[in-house]
Amino acid sequence: MLTIEKAAWDVMVAHAEATYPNECCGVMLGKGKTVTRAKAVENTYQGAQEDRYEIRPEDLLAADREARKDGLDIVGIFHSHPDCAAYFSKTDLENSCPWYSFVVLSILKGKFDNAGSFLPNAEQTEAPEEELIWPKS
Amino acid sequence: MAKILIPTPLRQFAGGNDTVDVTGATVGEALTALTTAHPDLRKNLYNDAGALRSFVNVYLNDEDIRYLSKEATPMGDGDTISIVPSIAGGR
Repeated sequence: MLTIEKAAWDVMVAHAEATYPNECCGVMLGKGKTVTRAKAVENTYQGAQEDRYEIRPEDLLAADREARKDGLDIVGIFHSHPDCAAYFSKTDLENSCPWYSFVVLSILKGKFDNAGSFLPNAEQTEAPEEELIWPKS
Repeated sequence: MAKILIPTPLRQFAGGNDTVDVTGATVGEALTALTTAHPDLRKNLYNDAGALRSFVNVYLNDEDIRYLSKEATPMGDGDTISIVPSIAGGR
């Protein structure tokens, strides 16, 4: 089970809605399976960003350094699916890393609709969904 | 002596350490020292053919070793090696 605290959640939803109709991406920091801070990062995919995202490794490195400095860990990665459900797609799976939780936010017509969290395996063949708790306001 | 920063999910395979001190003349030697000391890390970093997994990037300080001399990149005392995954996707 992954729990996202309100301060982090607000950053994630705001970033996902602001980048609509493109996909957004970011890094979730915290401890254990609790996300206390979210970092929006630039989608560096070179092409149509309506249905693709890519995180620059240097941005992940910077997030890891920030986490270590503040006694936190990288807990997971988030990205959005504009006008699409919160599922883990074939493209997500083929470009995943088995080390983190992957949260997908569904943004419909510019507004947050739903979210899911997934745990891809090392072979990039499956990503079971895990329970996701986020603030319901 | 150089330092390898261990990503959180891999610390369970590195004796719970968030950093591991290693010696070696190259980044490849340092990674070999790491996986010799902590063999369970090997399958997380390397595929069955012995190459770094496709999603694993290695940085020497601020530089991706892919743009230096890959695993033959020379390193020295005080250097820091980071293991950073590639992450992308889309609907």
